[in-house]
Amino acid sequence: MTVFFQAVLSGVLIGGIYALIGIGMSIIFGVMRIINFAHGDILMLGMYLSYYLFALAGIDPFVSVLIIIPIMFAFGALLQKVFINRMLDALPQNQLLLTIGLGLIMSNAMMLAFTSDYKILTTSYSSASVTLAGISISEPLAISFLITAGITALLYWFLTRTDTGQAIRATAQDAQAAQLMGINVKRMGMIAFGIGGALAATAGALISPTYYIYPQVGSAFTLKAFVITVMGGMGSVVGATIGGIIIGVTESVSSVCISSGWKDVVVFAVFLLVLLFKPAGLMGKSRM
Amino acid sequence: MAILELNHVSKSFGGLAANSDVSFRVEEGAIMGLIGPNGAGKTTLFNCITGYYSPTRGEIVFRGHRINGLQPDKVCKLGMVRTWQKVRPLTKLSVLENVMIGALCRTNSVKAARELAARQLELVKMENRADFLAGGLPIGERKKLEMARVLATDPQLLLLDEVMGGLNPTESDDIIQLILAIKERGITQVVIEHDMKAIMRVSDRVVVLNSGEKLAEGTPVDVVNNQLVIDAYLGKAISDGTV
Amino acid sequence: MGSRLSNIILLLTLAALFFFPRFVESPYAFHIMILLFLSTIVGTSWNIIGGYTGQYSIGHAAYFGTGAYVTMVLMKDKQIPPWLGVWAGVALVIIIALVIGSICFRLRGPYFVLASIAVAEIMRLSAMNLKELTNGAEGILATELPAFRIGGRVLTDFVSKTPFYYISLVLAVVTIVVAFLVLHSKLGYCFQAIREDQDAAHALGINPTFYKNAALVISAIFTGIAGGFYAIYVGFVDPATVMSLDISVQIVLVCIIGGIGTIYGPLIGSILIVPITEALRSNLIAEAIFKTGMVSQESHFGSFLKENLAHAHALIYGILVVLVILFMPEGVVGFQRKLWSKWNKGLG
Repeated sequence: MTVFFQAVLSGVLIGGIYALIGIGMSIIFGVMRIINFAHGDILMLGMYLSYYLFALAGIDPFVSVLIIIPIMFAFGALLQKVFINRMLDALPQNQLLLTIGLGLIMSNAMMLAFTSDYKILTTSYSSASVTLAGISISEPLAISFLITAGITALLYWFLTRTDTGQAIRATAQDAQAAQLMGINVKRMGMIAFGIGGALAATAGALISPTYYIYPQVGSAFTLKAFVITVMGGMGSVVGATIGGIIIGVTESVSSVCISSGWKDVVVFAVFLLVLLFKPAGLMGKSRM
Repeated sequence: MAILELNHVSKSFGGLAANSDVSFRVEEGAIMGLIGPNGAGKTTLFNCITGYYSPTRGEIVFRGHRINGLQPDKVCKLGMVRTWQKVRPLTKLSVLENVMIGALCRTNSVKAARELAARQLELVKMENRADFLAGGLPIGERKKLEMARVLATDPQLLLLDEVMGGLNPTESDDIIQLILAIKERGITQVVIEHDMKAIMRVSDRVVVLNSGEKLAEGTPVDVVNNQLVIDAYLGKAISDGTV
Repeated sequence: MGSRLSNIILLLTLAALFFFPRFVESPYAFHIMILLFLSTIVGTSWNIIGGYTGQYSIGHAAYFGTGAYVTMVLMKDKQIPPWLGVWAGVALVIIIALVIGSICFRLRGPYFVLASIAVAEIMRLSAMNLKELTNGAEGILATELPAFRIGGRVLTDFVSKTPFYYISLVLAVVTIVVAFLVLHSKLGYCFQAIREDQDAAHALGINPTFYKNAALVISAIFTGIAGGFYAIYVGFVDPATVMSLDISVQIVLVCIIGGIGTIYGPLIGSILIVPITEALRSNLIAEAIFKTGMVSQESHFGSFLKENLAHAHALIYGILVVLVILFMPEGVVGFQRKLWSKWNKGLG
């Protein structure tokens, strides 16, 4: 029984990080109606940034988040401005293919620059764990979860209490109406991509102490992000949060009950079921 | 003989009743006008009739057969076809190819479909546009294209949804001539229109919808002088073709 | 282009291709041509469901991989020669396509794309996990190919690359011919109507489910055959090489770059991409750069090139895709057509 609880708990902790990735993709979809296939690769960039900040400047990954957020926000906004912005009226399939191309460029440029050798970021606490009521909790995961919770809370405050945040939500609900009300929809797109990029890269930094770092690591996360975003309802931040945790727990429990080889199959199967039967996601409506 | 019968047709979306208890019959070979304010449920009714929606209650009977919930492609094969309020040309195909798609409903031969399509284009006087990309057409020709396309399916009943919307008087007149020519061929038509002059000219009978319900039915003259209809939709009495 | 002129060019090209083995000896040149034909086959067949019908499946590796595995397993375990075994692969591929279609075609646009990816990934992971069937991640290595006999006379024993060259050339030609016939038949018109406006097509008597599944099955069959051929040509299959998302993406990219929804688009896309990819992979380009003396092998940049240019092919894909989607969404063939019609208008 403790094994099960253990699995659930690790699932929740990793689920928090998945949620970050999902929220980023959800915001991008909500505001721009684009499925960002390069999302996982932005996460990968965050991982590498975190690695080199640690290796070259001794900055702890969790602290490096403070540096990574503004850098990658700018990166995401730049991506939107230079590339995505030209494709606003194109077929959704073509927009998706554009992001696939961008993702390929990112991961392969990194491969050229840093080779595909796995890099490992080991901190003093990388394999440390805390025991609580007989259940062992991985320290880095626990800290990541707390940071994730903090960022999510901040994001929620931003979206509900600030003018810009509310403008973003308005654009997500109805871009035309928002424009008529004087909101600069193009700018909202840039901000959305910036936030999405920052969140993805942050997730990358948070998992860098516990995952292998290599250029192709992004695609697995992109796929998970889709699943989470669709489950939570494309465009819903709350939904993506819940979806992330559900996926984290599903993965963790499947890995224990079935076998780790099949856990991804379970995740994809759940994804298909949601797409088919509850396409608006578990939260119902597309609402931030 | 009634080619189309609606018996107590209702359609609701969640709590919203788009159509409530609508009943009428359309005589074969006649032209039935369907009018009413925006949001009255006219297009929803078309969608129910052609199988795009399934009615929540009631019956739709076409040539004596109940067709509730039949898929749109089967409805087309049975002989009933519609045009769209917002035109839907197949933009990357040529004008001729657009009409061929309609013709392919009745034949498996591309060659036969091409000939059929060419004849329909002559009927709407667009033969010279045959190889033009449909996406490049102005609105008036798009409407004519859509009519040629549905005619190519060899229908017995044609549902026209605001086929004159957005046209100038000359273009509208062309369409009216077309509708009358279609009647000559024995094809029954139900016409949704806001252009009252056109309705008066072509309709044998008129049904008025308001807020999803049938408000009135009768000859054009009767309907147009019906006080209820005037209050709900027309605004003032139309007498002797001054409108 | 005048129809007569293009037919002449076509015949000349075909003739050149058929006589190619007489004049060329380098096995490496053969290898590139075979890969080019393979890319054309899978690209052209994808185009049927993607370009003509508008359903952008990014999960075609499912069919390629199934064809590859069935052919390989039947040959290795049951000694069934691949030219028979591949048909069992085709049969299985048809069933899988119908199942996938019944799941995915309820969804539209980008949701369909995501579902196609999910389904293909489920298949790849299943291939990895069902070790008794597929040997898992280790893959299956082929033993020698049986000699191809007709009536007791050995036609080939598959030692050289030449038989593979001709088989893949014929398959490529057949695929293009089939695509052409389909495009100009009722099927082709219905496919395109669905692509342009599924609901309008539905109301005109076209059953979208039937036609989408028909397109997918046709597409899957040729992709599966290509997979079977690949398996026996390369002699090795594993989930990472024949069932991966990379393969599915590459198939789509070739069509995007060449021209979606055109007959020759995938061929042109393959011509543009395959030779460059292979040249990079085998260090031919690095060697050429060193030969010109512009960069020295010993220098920092030189050794960087030597180490890494081989891996740059996917980067080139990415750059090409971004450029094409942004500036030439109709692909090279589509762009050439636009230029041509502009030129004609100018002349006329």
